Amino acid sequence: MNDYIIKCENLGFTYSENIEGETSAAEEIPALKNITLGIKRGEYLAVLGHNGSGKSTLAKLLNMILTPTVGKIYIDGVDITAEDFTEDDVFAIRRKIGMVFQNPDNQLVATVVEEDVAFGPENLGLPREEIRRRVNSSLALVGMQNYMRHAPHKLSGGQKQRVAIAGIIAMKPEVIIFDESTAMLDPLGRREVIEIMERLNREEGITVINITHYMEEAARADRVVVINDGELALDGTPKKVFSKVARLHSMGLEAPQGNELVLLLRDAGCRIDGDSLTEEECVETLYNFISKEKTI
Amino acid sequence: MNEILKIENVSFVYGKGTPFEKVALDNVSVSFKKGRITGLIGHTGSGKSTLVNLLNGLYKPEEGRVYLDGEDIWEKPKEIAKIRYRVGLVMQYPEYQLFDETVRADIGFAPRNLGLSPEEVEERVIEAARFAGVSPDLLDKSPFELSGGQKRRVAIAGIIAMRPDVLVLDEPAAGLDPRGRREILGGLREYVNTLGTSVILVSHSMEDMAHYCDDVVVMNNAKVYKTGTVEEIFSEAESLTAVGLDVPVVSRVAIALKNRGINLEGTLYTTEGLRDAILSYLKGGKK
Repeated sequence: MNDYIIKCENLGFTYSENIEGETSAAEEIPALKNITLGIKRGEYLAVLGHNGSGKSTLAKLLNMILTPTVGKIYIDGVDITAEDFTEDDVFAIRRKIGMVFQNPDNQLVATVVEEDVAFGPENLGLPREEIRRRVNSSLALVGMQNYMRHAPHKLSGGQKQRVAIAGIIAMKPEVIIFDESTAMLDPLGRREVIEIMERLNREEGITVINITHYMEEAARADRVVVINDGELALDGTPKKVFSKVARLHSMGLEAPQGNELVLLLRDAGCRIDGDSLTEEECVETLYNFISKEKTI
Repeated sequence: MNEILKIENVSFVYGKGTPFEKVALDNVSVSFKKGRITGLIGHTGSGKSTLVNLLNGLYKPEEGRVYLDGEDIWEKPKEIAKIRYRVGLVMQYPEYQLFDETVRADIGFAPRNLGLSPEEVEERVIEAARFAGVSPDLLDKSPFELSGGQKRRVAIAGIIAMRPDVLVLDEPAAGLDPRGRREILGGLREYVNTLGTSVILVSHSMEDMAHYCDDVVVMNNAKVYKTGTVEEIFSEAESLTAVGLDVPVVSRVAIALKNRGINLEGTLYTTEGLRDAILSYLKGGKK
């Protein structure tokens, strides 16, 4: 039981209210249907899906921002959909599952970096020394210790996201959900955030769920889950999921550029063997293919 | 005249004379060619957005001049509003700016304000909707019934309906899935070719630059770092990574293959381009 930090069983959710607050049958299209998914402790999972596919709804359900219409969610073995679940229990769950959102400007609350990171621990009512310790270690983990007294609004996008992540780490969560946290960042900022995500997973053992539109990011995870029109469409290693290029295209997605390139070449009659998921694999595979063809 | 917009020795400072003074643009000169799609890239805080806001007169330069089709846009400061019709700016997350009752009315807002006849307004709405990828059956819906991607295309159509000389798009595809990106950016080429307009596209996605742009302007620390065609800019990966940017994955693969002695030629920054380059390299060797 403790193997799975998160377990969803036949999970479903329907946004039912329209603007007037009334419900009508036409609008009751489920955002999520029949999702059964187990996420293991320490996993590095990427979630893909077109806009409106339901992936953010899933994130909000796991963090108890939304309550499922049907089905069960177990966090660390605890049924969070149980009827006797109290407000205090909700806070305990939110402490376990931290979330980093898309827009860094919407998640920083204080005027000084260290105060922003201290916000969570302060609300936990921790002793002063413990708050200090957590702020220091969290900022060190994201490489922002030299910006402790800086104003958040003067930081770059990537730096702001790192401060937001530090604020989450300071709560000592077991899972961090990144909900398109790199969407608004420049290439360097994106790299910074991904590196931290992976360090937290590898070195701190935190379960990482990265919801993203960047296929190259998803290719780096241990496992990729694709949600399409509210349903679980694909689930497996990046290699397995990204080998289904036609299926991905039909769902409005793509494979990483290397896979797309090799597929184009195969369509043009080239007989290429080997992987092309990462840039290095792609170079290796193409080099071998071209050398072989040239010597024939 | 080959240049539609030209910036000459422009400097811009935020909070001048205060302790928070920040130089956003430092003596920048750059021009944008007519009939081309020009990409504008640079790390966060490099000065891209400031530059964009200067192009349509939302900001007034501290020093230097901005020319639209050869005319100084600040020659008659009272008429600056006219410039904003000629340089149409689509800001980030424009879906939050929709307000009218129907998509048709929303797209037609600017043409109505220009005093056009109802027939002319309708004509422009249809045309703009087509270029922005808004399907005709959406025109009578409320903008609030649409998906995020659809709303964004409606907002872009609203600017295109002004028939600007230059369309400036600030991160139009941020947060959209691959299909959504294509739907927004895929129509730009036809738009430019049909109406003879020019486009400036601000983006953090190097893949978007590679697929949709002709030229690229690279900003770094309040200055123009580099300008050139897409091919010129992406052939030198090191100079872009040095300023916190990148080249498309495909370009990196092509560069790595070249470094291992495979002399590829052609368009090496899109998947289709690299495929063709590899195919012709293989053909060439066998003869």
